[in-house]
Amino acid sequence: MHRRTILIGGGIAAVAAAAAGVAAYRASRTRERDAAALLALVLPDLSGREQPLAQWRGKILVVNFWATWCGPCREEMPHFVRAQAEHAATGLQFVGIAVDQVDKVRQFTDELGVNYPILIGGYGAIELSRALGNSVGALPFTIVLDRQGAVVWTHLGAVKEPQFNTLLAGLLTPA
Amino acid sequence: MRPALAALALAAGAVALPALAQFPGAKPDLLPPDRAFRLSARALDPNTVEVRFDIADGYYLYRDRMSFRVEPVMAGVAVLPPGKRKHDAFFGDVDTYRGSVDVRVPLAQAAAPGEALTVYAQSQGCADVGVCYPPNAQQVKVSVPLAGARAGDFVEPPAKGLFN
Repeated sequence: MHRRTILIGGGIAAVAAAAAGVAAYRASRTRERDAAALLALVLPDLSGREQPLAQWRGKILVVNFWATWCGPCREEMPHFVRAQAEHAATGLQFVGIAVDQVDKVRQFTDELGVNYPILIGGYGAIELSRALGNSVGALPFTIVLDRQGAVVWTHLGAVKEPQFNTLLAGLLTPA
Repeated sequence: MRPALAALALAAGAVALPALAQFPGAKPDLLPPDRAFRLSARALDPNTVEVRFDIADGYYLYRDRMSFRVEPVMAGVAVLPPGKRKHDAFFGDVDTYRGSVDVRVPLAQAAAPGEALTVYAQSQGCADVGVCYPPNAQQVKVSVPLAGARAGDFVEPPAKGLFN
């Protein structure tokens, strides 16, 4: 009796673990698809020219969803500007997707001296970020893709500079 | 046998769980905007709608990013109480609300007693943990009190489901 209970318990645990494994596998497959959807995006830049995100495939791509009406977004951007300047030669590419009006975005990015492309995303961009793990649809939201185009990191809220630098250093080191 | 099974289950769990943990998501403790900024409203009288936001602890709304609309009667200019002034490096001084805020929305024409009105509110706010929500549209239906009746209680929108 006792033995059977344990067997059933073990069986249930194994089934649960298998189900969790399948769920994780499905989640990772879904995220591959969503990463592909992200790279398939074509959004206008500040001069209105359409920019496909696929042009940065092969780089370590940091996609940052932000807006001028989001204080925490503005606060983390000087760090991105520094990282972009420091690592551009080794294939690090930041891209900002602003969920905002173009004039506000232009004013802010000029003031800050942003040295990476800023695209205008609208609320559709937030919906895409939801699919990539931003379940409440808030900003800032940052996604890092490796050189193969796989999502390696996502983060809601301002990134912590030391932690983020460590992540970038790991990705930038040639394997 | 028993230890072997237990070990198998543990091993399967050990493989599956880190895979789940790696699935990066939003901070699980962040509220969706409709719950962080709970809307309710009532018709005070045929000329006035009162809109309330109950703001969860650790969240705030921007005063100058609120707008209101009423149907089928046109709304006048909302009377927004002063908020708490905060300096913003880009926007200058901005007023924010915490806790609870009541906004009076006058109606351009008197509604009929008993008339059903739909109140549309747009708001935008942030959480102290360092995230901001996009402008959020909410709506709620209220009834104008009958002639001689006192204003009813605040009404919340019907629950939309688990994630609203």
